[in-house]
Amino acid sequence: MFKSHKKHIMKNSENVIEVENVSMEFYRLNEKVDNLKEFFVRLVKGKLERKTERVLENVSFELKKGESIGLIGHNGAGKSTLLKIISNIYEPTEGSVRTRGVIAPLLNLGAGFDYEATGKENVYLNGAILGYSKKELHKKYQEIVDFSELGDHMNTPLKNYSSGMVARLGFAIAIDVEPSILLVDEILSVGDENFRRKCADKINELREKGVSFVIVSHNMGQIRSLCQKALWIENSQVKGYGEVNQICNEYEAYCKEIKRKSDEEARKKALAENK
Amino acid sequence: MNNNIDNATLKEEKRAEFKEWFEFQKKELVKNINIVKQLVLRSIKVQYRNSVIGVFWTILNPLLNMLVMYLVFSSMFAGRGTTQIEQATYPLHLLCGNIVFGMMRNATVQSLPSIVQNRGLLTKNKMSYNVFPLSYALSAVVNFGFSFIALLGVMLVVWIQGQAVFSLNIFLVFVGLPALFLFCYGLSLILSAMYTFFRDISHFYNVFLTLWMYLTPIFYTINMFEGAGPAGAMMKTVIRLNPMYYYVEYFRDVVYRCSAHAYALENMEATEQLSMVATNTQEYLSMVEAATLPGFGETATIYLIGLVTLLVGAIVFMGTKRKFIYNI
Repeated sequence: MFKSHKKHIMKNSENVIEVENVSMEFYRLNEKVDNLKEFFVRLVKGKLERKTERVLENVSFELKKGESIGLIGHNGAGKSTLLKIISNIYEPTEGSVRTRGVIAPLLNLGAGFDYEATGKENVYLNGAILGYSKKELHKKYQEIVDFSELGDHMNTPLKNYSSGMVARLGFAIAIDVEPSILLVDEILSVGDENFRRKCADKINELREKGVSFVIVSHNMGQIRSLCQKALWIENSQVKGYGEVNQICNEYEAYCKEIKRKSDEEARKKALAENK
Repeated sequence: MNNNIDNATLKEEKRAEFKEWFEFQKKELVKNINIVKQLVLRSIKVQYRNSVIGVFWTILNPLLNMLVMYLVFSSMFAGRGTTQIEQATYPLHLLCGNIVFGMMRNATVQSLPSIVQNRGLLTKNKMSYNVFPLSYALSAVVNFGFSFIALLGVMLVVWIQGQAVFSLNIFLVFVGLPALFLFCYGLSLILSAMYTFFRDISHFYNVFLTLWMYLTPIFYTINMFEGAGPAGAMMKTVIRLNPMYYYVEYFRDVVYRCSAHAYALENMEATEQLSMVATNTQEYLSMVEAATLPGFGETATIYLIGLVTLLVGAIVFMGTKRKFIYNI
């Protein structure tokens, strides 16, 4: 009964994340049935089949305090699902996830914003969602404004912001709540050159403070420079897990191989068509 | 002996576990309270953003609504088995009905799509789903508070016209309000959960709301069906099965009806008209009945309806919330 709080009791006390044999299945109706009429028509016809889709298969990894891990793999391999499982948004079908400390999920910047509300209101709402009280946010507010360089714009509705401004605000909030784990989903390429450099500096600063990162990225250079470990997921299964350079090399070789094959096929096809 | 020690340590462990669980829950609760506060603030602000008189619309809206209904229905209302006092307090009758029904409509219509609409937040953050229906139910309570100001204004006008309606009874509104809130919150939970699975609930609910409004004595009274034959008797049964009837009547009783009738009775006694009316016992008794404040029975009824609705809502919501994330 009292299990819900046990998610932070780790097997190894040095770890901040322990993912153990996690599998994830989505139960989906064959076609999306979201209206009553169709639901009943199908129920009567017996066409209400459920399809299980396995998105992750037996994934395990662990992360020590201060370490960072990069998740790599092709689109749709299950990286983002894994991030959502770590941040406790999805519950895994099998296996278990244990985490320690505040997790700030930086999944898709600005997705959680209310575009009718002003920047300031969004700071307070998002801060509350991340678990901070109004008092704490009062203290942090100025830092967030300074970091995002939004100044006077904080009192205008978000719908008037440019996409870069929204991303800056999202990044500033997530960074400023001082998480112990930061989940980053392909967002380090936001804003102009200046802001990107600032983000990189901030991330390095946080790393020195001992914040752990889980980063999803297709930029191998970024993964190599930020992470010690890498987890390569391909077709919902772990294809490689270990030291970052080794895994990245393997992945790059694999990508080249795939590209070579597809190029060859395309060439063959073209030749066949010419004939 | 050994067994005893084992038992003691086991108990100790259990206690520690419970304490930890309790602390965790407390932290979650504080967090959710913060979120709900922000959401309530947001929903109230968003309502009136870019409007010139802003939040005054919440006060003006029920007044304008009342005015429209008064223009249309007041002539119909007169002379259909309604008493003089009822006719004189008709604006208050309309306003109370509108405010109470409006609070329910406000809470449920906003809650209905709330989980789906906030998918941006829900799929990117770990948070409780029920903060959304809860915050809309609470913002409906805040809006009720604004409308209450309008109500006081109308009471003042009616009072100036010569109907004694002011009394401290009006503060009994705050005894009934939590019951109405429980009802709205329970209904919001049910609707928002259903909407995540079936989007056509919203179209259906809109039609249902219209029906529900007509089956609630907002611009008529249940007594008007008196002597209307079997059809009238059936209408009375249908209205009695409608939970909103009990809320609307409770609020009317405490806001003006009891005090107006009590004052009228006093007046009659003072001017010795009582002997004249007393010949018509039926009328006298109904006046006395209208002058009695809602007692334990009435209060218990509205709380029971509220609690049962909330219980059903909580069961539906808890039972389905695991599947929400795949449907939003």
